[in-house]
Amino acid sequence: MAGAVAKKCLSPLALLSRRLSAPELVFKSCYHQKVVDHYENPRNVGSMDKNSKNVGTGLVGAPACGDVMKLQIEVDDQGKIVDAKFKTFGCGSAIASSSLATEWVKGKTLDEALNIKNTDIAKELSLPPVKLHCSMLAEDAIKAALADYRLKQHDSQKKAGRVGN
Amino acid sequence: MFPLGSLRIICSPRAARHPPWTRKHGASLPNAATLSPSMAASFHSNNPPWHNGVNFREFGKVEFYYTKTVFSSKSCCTSQIKPHCWNCKRLLEKTSTFFCKSCQAIQPPEEGTTYFKIMDCDYTFTLDTHKLQTRYLQLQRSLHPDNFSQKSVKEQGFSEHQSALVNKAYTTLLKPLSRGLYMLELEGVPLEEGTDSHADSDFLLELMEVNEALDEAQTPEEASKIGQCMKGKLADLTEQIDAALHKGELHAARALLTKMKYYTNIEEKVKEKLSGFMSNI
Repeated sequence: MAGAVAKKCLSPLALLSRRLSAPELVFKSCYHQKVVDHYENPRNVGSMDKNSKNVGTGLVGAPACGDVMKLQIEVDDQGKIVDAKFKTFGCGSAIASSSLATEWVKGKTLDEALNIKNTDIAKELSLPPVKLHCSMLAEDAIKAALADYRLKQHDSQKKAGRVGN
Repeated sequence: MFPLGSLRIICSPRAARHPPWTRKHGASLPNAATLSPSMAASFHSNNPPWHNGVNFREFGKVEFYYTKTVFSSKSCCTSQIKPHCWNCKRLLEKTSTFFCKSCQAIQPPEEGTTYFKIMDCDYTFTLDTHKLQTRYLQLQRSLHPDNFSQKSVKEQGFSEHQSALVNKAYTTLLKPLSRGLYMLELEGVPLEEGTDSHADSDFLLELMEVNEALDEAQTPEEASKIGQCMKGKLADLTEQIDAALHKGELHAARALLTKMKYYTNIEEKVKEKLSGFMSNI
C-alpha cells in the first residue's frame, strides 16, 4: 500500500529525471509505430502529370507549421481512383498522414474518398493532439484533389458540349 | 508552488525552452510524453528544436500555461496587489518593476506585461536586436537564480520566474518571425490553426518547386543558392510586414507572416542540408 503510494508520488519525478538524462530514448518511443513506419517507408511518393485529364491535384499548406502537401489522384472511366501519389514537405506526422491517405483513397470511388475524415487518419496513426492538424492537412489535400479532378471533368464536358453544338 | 525538482532546472537553457509548468501539466495526463512540446518540435524535421524556438503551435500553448502560472503564483504568494513591494509593502516605481527600490527585494513578474516592456524595447517590428541583446544580458545578470541561492525560497522562486520569462521574451523578440507572430497575438489576430484553405495556389506551387529543387540539390552550391534566394525573400517580407504593421493592416501582416513561416522552414532545411554536406566530406 505504502509502496504503491510512494510510487505514485514519485512517478512524475521519475519521468522528469528520465527525460533529462536520456531525452532521445523517450523521443523514439513517443510516436506510434505506424507513424514511424510511414515516415521511414512512405508509400506512393511521387508526382503525376498534373495537366492530364484523369489526374486531380490537391495542393495545401498549414500556415501555423509551414508544411506543404501535394496529393494527386488518377481516376479511371468508371470514376474509381486507381492510383494516388503524394509529396509532403513537413514533419513526420504530415508525411505519415499523407502516405496513409494515398493508401486509403486507392480503389475508392470519388464519393467514398470524400468520406475519409481527418479523425480516421488521426485515429489510425494515434496522432497526439498537437499533431492533429497534420491529419486535417491530409483530409484537405484529398478534398482539394477531388475538387480539382471534378473541375477538370466539368470543364472538359463543357468543351465537349460546345463542340457538339 | 512547484516541486523543488522542477524549480532547480528552471534556470538551465533546456528549462527555458521547456518550462517546467508545461512539463508539470503534461505529467498529469496519461500520455505526457506525446503531448510535450519538446518532443513534437524535435520530431518536426525542419525545425532544430532549440534554434527555432519550438513550433509555434506549441509556443502558443506554453504562453497560455505561463500566464496561468503567473496568476496563480500571485494569488497564493502575495496578499498585496501590484504595484506594492511584497516585502516592505512600499509602492514600486513604475520604471523598474523587477526590484523594489527601497528594500532591494526581487518582485514577482508583473501582471499583464508584454515581452516588449520586459525587454524595454519599442513596440515595433524593426526593433534594435543589439539593444535587445544588451538588455537581456543586463537583466539576466541581476535576475539569474544563481544570485539568489542565499535568499529566501520565495525570492528564489521569483528569480526563477523572472529569469525564465526574460529568456522567453528574448528568444521571442530576437527573430523577426516569432516577433511578428507575437505582435499579432498581442493585437488579437493570431495565426490560424489548421490548413490554409484560401492559400494562393501559385504560392503553394512555388513552395513545392523550391522544396523539390532543394531535395534534388546535389552540391552545396545549389543548396546555398536556394538559401540565398530565401534570404532575399525573407528580407523583402520583413520590410513588407513592417509597413503593414505600421499601417495597422493586421490581416495583411498575418498573411505575410504566414509566407515568412514557409520560407523560414525552407531556410532551415537549407541549413540542415548544408550541414549534411559538411559532415559527408
